Amino acid sequence: MLSLRLTSLTHLFSPPSSTAIARRSPAILRRRNHHLRPRPLAASFSSQSAAAETQDRVDNSKNRVSDRVITPRSQDFNAWYLDVIANAELADYGPVRGTMVIRPYGYAIWEAIQEFLNVKFKETGHSNMYFPQFIPYSFIEKEASHVEGFSPELALVTIGGGKELEEKLVVRPTSETIVNHMFTQWIHSYRDLPLLINQWANVTRWEMRTKPFVRTLEFLWQEGHTAHATPEEAEKEAIQMIDIYTRFAYEQAAIPVITGRKSKVETFAGACKTYTIEAMMGDKKALQAGTSHNLGQNFARAFGTQFTDESGVREYVWQTSWAISTRFVGGIIMTHGDDAGLMLPPKIAPIQVVIVPIWKKDDEKAAVLNAASSVKDVLLTSGIKVKLDDSDQRTPGWKFNFWEMKGVPLRIEIGPRDVASGSVVISRRDIPGKQGKVFGISMEPSNLEAYVKNKLDQIQSSLLARAIAFRDSNIIDVSTYDDLKAAISQGKWARGPWSASDEDELKVKEETGATIRCFPFEQPQGIKRCLMTGNPAEEVAIFAKSY
Amino acid sequence: MDFSLFIFISFGNCQVATTPLHYHYQSIAEDGCSGNIDNNDGDNGAIKEQRAPCTLSESENPRVNRSATIALARFIRLRHLCNGIRCSSFTMAGTEAKKPAAKQSGGKKKEVKKETGLGLTHRKAENFGEWYSEVVVNAEMIEYYDISGCYILRPWSMAIWEIMQEFFDPEIKKMKIKNCYFPLFVSPGVLQKEKDHVEGFAPEVAWVTKSGESELEIPIAIRPTSETVMYPYYSKWIRGHRDLPLKLNQWCNVVRWEFSNPTPFIRSREFLWQEGHTAFATKEEADAEVLEILELYRRIYEEYLAIPVIKGKKSELEKFAGGLYTTSVEAFIPNTGRGIQGATSHCLGQNFAKMFEINFENEKGEKAMVWQNSWAYSTRTIGVMVMVHGDDKGLVLPPKIASVQVIVIPVPYKDADTQGIFDACSETVNTLSEAGIRAESDFRDNYSPGWKYSHWEMKGVPLRIEIGPKDLANKQVRAVRRDNGAKIDIASADLVGEIKKLLDNIQQNLFDVAKQKRDECIQVIYTWDEFVQALNQRKMILAPWCDEEEVEADVKARTKGEMGAAKTLCSPFDQPELPEGTKCFASGKPATKWTYWGRSY
Repeated sequence: MLSLRLTSLTHLFSPPSSTAIARRSPAILRRRNHHLRPRPLAASFSSQSAAAETQDRVDNSKNRVSDRVITPRSQDFNAWYLDVIANAELADYGPVRGTMVIRPYGYAIWEAIQEFLNVKFKETGHSNMYFPQFIPYSFIEKEASHVEGFSPELALVTIGGGKELEEKLVVRPTSETIVNHMFTQWIHSYRDLPLLINQWANVTRWEMRTKPFVRTLEFLWQEGHTAHATPEEAEKEAIQMIDIYTRFAYEQAAIPVITGRKSKVETFAGACKTYTIEAMMGDKKALQAGTSHNLGQNFARAFGTQFTDESGVREYVWQTSWAISTRFVGGIIMTHGDDAGLMLPPKIAPIQVVIVPIWKKDDEKAAVLNAASSVKDVLLTSGIKVKLDDSDQRTPGWKFNFWEMKGVPLRIEIGPRDVASGSVVISRRDIPGKQGKVFGISMEPSNLEAYVKNKLDQIQSSLLARAIAFRDSNIIDVSTYDDLKAAISQGKWARGPWSASDEDELKVKEETGATIRCFPFEQPQGIKRCLMTGNPAEEVAIFAKSY
Repeated sequence: MDFSLFIFISFGNCQVATTPLHYHYQSIAEDGCSGNIDNNDGDNGAIKEQRAPCTLSESENPRVNRSATIALARFIRLRHLCNGIRCSSFTMAGTEAKKPAAKQSGGKKKEVKKETGLGLTHRKAENFGEWYSEVVVNAEMIEYYDISGCYILRPWSMAIWEIMQEFFDPEIKKMKIKNCYFPLFVSPGVLQKEKDHVEGFAPEVAWVTKSGESELEIPIAIRPTSETVMYPYYSKWIRGHRDLPLKLNQWCNVVRWEFSNPTPFIRSREFLWQEGHTAFATKEEADAEVLEILELYRRIYEEYLAIPVIKGKKSELEKFAGGLYTTSVEAFIPNTGRGIQGATSHCLGQNFAKMFEINFENEKGEKAMVWQNSWAYSTRTIGVMVMVHGDDKGLVLPPKIASVQVIVIPVPYKDADTQGIFDACSETVNTLSEAGIRAESDFRDNYSPGWKYSHWEMKGVPLRIEIGPKDLANKQVRAVRRDNGAKIDIASADLVGEIKKLLDNIQQNLFDVAKQKRDECIQVIYTWDEFVQALNQRKMILAPWCDEEEVEADVKARTKGEMGAAKTLCSPFDQPELPEGTKCFASGKPATKWTYWGRSY
């Protein structure tokens, strides 16, 4: 078993590997150790001697590809996650520690996220634009808590074009400062408000502990920035955007996030209020999947962003910012995946249906392939993302496993007997084995199209229902600190009334490893007493360990 | 630390002689001291209405001082630039130019303004460089920024970039090219591998040397292009012939820390682009793709941006260093007499495969090396479009890439039915929008119709629709074309059809006019004397050439001067007949092909 478990990640482990990357960058080896559990086999590989075996190793790696096995999720969630990313070809490690290469299959998921959100942003009146990646250090310093929050993570460019720069430049960690600098020049009167913009960009945060998609030195995101004349409008905008994220999470990604407000301790550096969507991953850890900040006038005051209101008075603008990043892709993997690999909600799957033709004898092949490609055409024309795997290198069984591992929601099998009866076999990714398999679905176009669309919808909603059930069975209502500790130690989320101090919040973090994920918008009725102090509390908070 | 180790290859071969566009921002600021600056909060945010162009005559327009305000805004911004991040050449040019400019142009500028009645202080024909930098700002495409050579792409230009993406991205997806994303950061180890290919990027790389407060052990480069980032992975991912072709593309930003005169869109230190990188089993497949992509680039220019381009092959001297051959689409800017490389599609051959060990096992079980291509177009496209179509009233956008194709402006009159006019405007916008035309209305009550006309002309909107009391009564609208100023009354009943026709017509007309102007600049020559003369007349020169590197180097040396040297632009695929015995214009040796020559960006 173990000998088959060499994935492309472990493949990178070995210094004398034929891969050019490993040889060139010692940093990669450091990173490997950082990210991965020790793998005895990999170690033995790395002890193999160098260049002479290159050819040999290339061949080995080729065989390995066909026999990829993923660590069972229940056995080691982190190892499972990394295996899925490697085997499903979602991403690869980048050449610099903590960076990653987003491969086409992973990028296509990001594109699906972009397509949905970009339309929603435009519908709500936002325009896209692009700000430079470099920010003068002096900008970052202007807003005190902002610089405090970000300074340890800043990547600084000090040399450009062979010369020392006069002022060091920050590679943007987020763009509030540069945006405000420009807003100050663009906003003059109330007629210029609201100013609603968004950009799709890469940002950099020099994190020490990294994990593909979830936390990388560089990541892709959208960042919205808005300026308003009144605090009410800004608040409304912040809420509107977190609502859009919530809807995206539920309706597209089938992730039942809990939407709420961050505690003061967890609020974005420089914001008055931070709203968040918190998702429960398969290991029950929380993932902050998107945030929307009401910035109040903090940045406006730091940058002098003022407007003349209708009565001619100069006022500071009220602002928001909000973002979703490639981290969301990590959330999708960790919410829906299972032991067989990835499981993608149909609405964001790059491939929604894979067709696997099955033939044994050569004389069957033509008819089967013919039927398969006409099925493909039917689905394509009805707007379904379909892939026909007609390669003759692999057995149908191998293909089943492969596309299951890639998380494709539906599989259509077509064999000679199906061709004869004018029907196909359809299997659901989310229901393993025979239960998920239906025989004898007519190939007749209108029937097939309707059937497939219906099934995709069912899968979409059943993924969501399953995730909701999982989430709800793992949130425990607590009324004392002991309850909370017990819940956290079981790896669950704890929900309980909270009105204690920031110090108490930090104490919880120190003693249990859990933080307040949010004060959910949906609050239970009734009188509440703080689980820590017993004082009256207005809200319940959710505590959990998080990524 | 040796920062000259790294490198890579000039993707667009855009090493360029000094540009003719000298940006003396001070000269715009000459009468700034008389401007109405709201000075209550220091340098920031002091400028009122800086983005609005001045349009109406002084008696009608309460904003008579706007140009002064704009000027002062620029001046302040310049001071920011000087105080903040300094680009040496920029600052120097600025300070030297300051005083003389202030003296000269005080009177002259007003004259121009009166004559044209516009928000632009410079005319395209007279002072192209300053006209350009003024248009991109006043049309709200670009905002200057404290870091020299970095510009903010405002929604007006970002929308153009997005529209081009919406065309190009599905086209390459049809070709089974997939999008992906490689990191911004390049480890010096990988770059080091490319020592042999130095000349290109070494001097232009920006380096991250610190994280937070701590120094990095090894500085990390920011990608100037991604060959060195990507190809190690190609080596890893490609094993057998079934892994081929590998066809990837990414949309991203790249950084080239150049010190030559930065120009918005045309040459900036950070820009957006797509870079495609593909690997094939055979040279034939690679060759075919090079041309397929080049055709898409031609279509972006000709069908979307309405700019005629010439497809051709680059000379050995001008090709992508390390590649096998480079093809490009070349545009021409008649006003400056300079060619501009629009986009490039390179066949890299097997050179990179050799360096990065990108091997595969072919069908016979033998080890073979892949054939590679790379290809890119960038936000430079937008700059070329501004240069080619813009006029003294500002930007002129081809309808296909305009984010607003039709602007509807109500023209109420004293006692007229104002509400009726506004309703008709809204209805017009709705009707057009439903028909897929990008239409908007301008209902702002603090601007006069005349101001709005000029504003949207500045922004280059292809068609303006005016609706006044008479139009309302006659159930018609008045359409005014941005490209030629023609006014057309359209019956409301025929609205959609007529507007569509007009937009198509404008698109075609812009192309035809640009082509005619470009063609007038093309001159066929046979001798060195003719060449020098044509060069002085800012022509795009088509000459018989022997295709020898030394000869091109020699031409460059002999034409070196203030304006920059002449070089080959491309050898067009569409070759005129070359009679036996034709001599090379420069060397007198037998010519082997026709080649375009000229100064370039």
